Amino acid sequence: MRLPAGVRDWLPHELVRKREIEQTMRALFGRWAYSEVATPSFERFDVLEIGLGRELTKESFRFADRRATALALRPEMTTPIARLVSTRMREDPLPLRLSYVATAYRYYEQPQEGKMREFTQAGVELIGPGGLDADAEALFMAIEAMDEVGLRDAHFDINDAAIVDGILDGLELDPEAMRAAKGFMADRNIVALRAFERPELVSFAMSRGGRDVTARARTICRTSASLAALDRIDTLFERAAKLGHGSRVSIDLALLRDLEYYTGFLFEGYVPEVGFSLCGGGRYDSLLPRFGYDAAAVGWTAEIERLLIALERRGKHVDRKRPRVDVLVMGSDVIAARERAAGNVVRFAGATLTDEELLADARAHGIPRVVVATNGTLRELHVELHPSERLPRPVVSRKGEGS
Amino acid sequence: MPIPSPAHADRLVIAMPKGSLYPDAAERLRKAGIDVPEDTGRKLTVVTPDGKAELLFLRPTDVPAYVEFGAADCGIVGKDVLWESDRHVSELADLGFGYCRLVVAARRIDRYHEGAPFPTFLRVATKFTRSAETYFSERDLPVQLIPLHGSVELSPLVGLADAIVDLVATGTTLREHDMVVVDEIAESTARFVVNPVRFRAKYDALMSLLERLEGRPITV
Repeated sequence: MRLPAGVRDWLPHELVRKREIEQTMRALFGRWAYSEVATPSFERFDVLEIGLGRELTKESFRFADRRATALALRPEMTTPIARLVSTRMREDPLPLRLSYVATAYRYYEQPQEGKMREFTQAGVELIGPGGLDADAEALFMAIEAMDEVGLRDAHFDINDAAIVDGILDGLELDPEAMRAAKGFMADRNIVALRAFERPELVSFAMSRGGRDVTARARTICRTSASLAALDRIDTLFERAAKLGHGSRVSIDLALLRDLEYYTGFLFEGYVPEVGFSLCGGGRYDSLLPRFGYDAAAVGWTAEIERLLIALERRGKHVDRKRPRVDVLVMGSDVIAARERAAGNVVRFAGATLTDEELLADARAHGIPRVVVATNGTLRELHVELHPSERLPRPVVSRKGEGS
Repeated sequence: MPIPSPAHADRLVIAMPKGSLYPDAAERLRKAGIDVPEDTGRKLTVVTPDGKAELLFLRPTDVPAYVEFGAADCGIVGKDVLWESDRHVSELADLGFGYCRLVVAARRIDRYHEGAPFPTFLRVATKFTRSAETYFSERDLPVQLIPLHGSVELSPLVGLADAIVDLVATGTTLREHDMVVVDEIAESTARFVVNPVRFRAKYDALMSLLERLEGRPITV
């Protein structure tokens, strides 16, 4: 009766917390004018492969149907949405603002906290605009999302993939060495970078901070593309500061995430308590063209389970809240239906309970009312709840913030 | 026992390897201004008198896990342990001490070191299964790996294995058992590693420690 490695069940009190966060994210996406889409959990592998980088392809759960068609579970949502946009939404006017809350699957050799084989992503794709406004929208939305789930001190590191390319271009390395150097940069493997005997590589990989970082990078970047990227990062940094996020955003020139994915701006959000990032994303202008659709795109995603871990580490523990029941009804479908229609949560009691048993049940579960319909008469029993047992009716918050 | 608190803004939590690397690791940290005790005794963790660092005393093989999960911000560990662990940590400095080589070794009389062919059904005993697997598969050599936890050099002498993959520091142990190095796989030294996210969260403190460990500025 065991589960395979890397997947988990969600008990009612756990799922309540997860759904709350998912709803918070959905509400946020809606306020930024994004529309939710869904795609199948599995697709043809050859189609997914077009969009996935080497790493994600390796981590895909793959299988074949009975006709030996190679299939794979989606390891993320960006590629399926790119496929969807380039096929069925091709005629839709740009920009497109799409969102999702969906499970994704990855074959991690060693599943562990924050790296489960089944996990939930909530994210958005903004398709069409290639400019800085779209990059800013992605970043500011993600900051707002962390605020909304209760991680108001989440920090964000930003970078532009074109900057590192500019540095590496100037070093006149052969393509293989360049690729290796980029990988070491992404891992921040300084020991390996020192072996290239180019001190500027190390200096670059360790640079993190504010405008001083880009100012220093300007002295080693040679290509016009990387200089333009530095300007963009500076502007974005300024815009974040104007929004009051100045102290929460840093420039980290070694932030590269998935190497093959990002073509420009990229970012990652985290809190100090957990050793992995909570959300991240960036610009991937080369993805849609690979599906035959010439459009730029920027997006980001948060991992719901990682957010839950971060909140739990903060002591915002999952309360073992009992499910709220407003009325215990015995003996009448009509009364029960009427109570439900009035917006109450109704639970049926077995038809043969005595008043004492009903009251004991109500007290044990914190149910404030008991309605008994027997022999054509309707009685409401008086339930005396201990004040601590009286469950407050949750305030339904329009913004989806927890009660 | 105080609970380690990596989130403590100014305090660095440092994973220390117990055993052979400890004296050098402690000495280097002391030179970098961290008050590390000579002897850990039976303690699992210690906060330095100035309160600036908390040291966790761990089995060397556990250091990468503590750092990857962020239970420690940073740590000192041999490269040989990193090869085997496949943990996602950033290697910020080669500390130079703890030098040893990972080698394939065998009995002198088998003459593999002079080019005699390996047996068709090659058996290799090792504590370093990941590294050994990579080495032999890169050479397309079919091999039966025998994972052991200690006294690996005994295994060829009693016929358990044809060769071993093991760490060699001075070579004394091999000589004592009349064994020789057949091939060198890699060289290992102690590394200063950090958790990639914690590196960002505690950038100033970790950069300052790194510069003191290296004894030179990192960014030019």
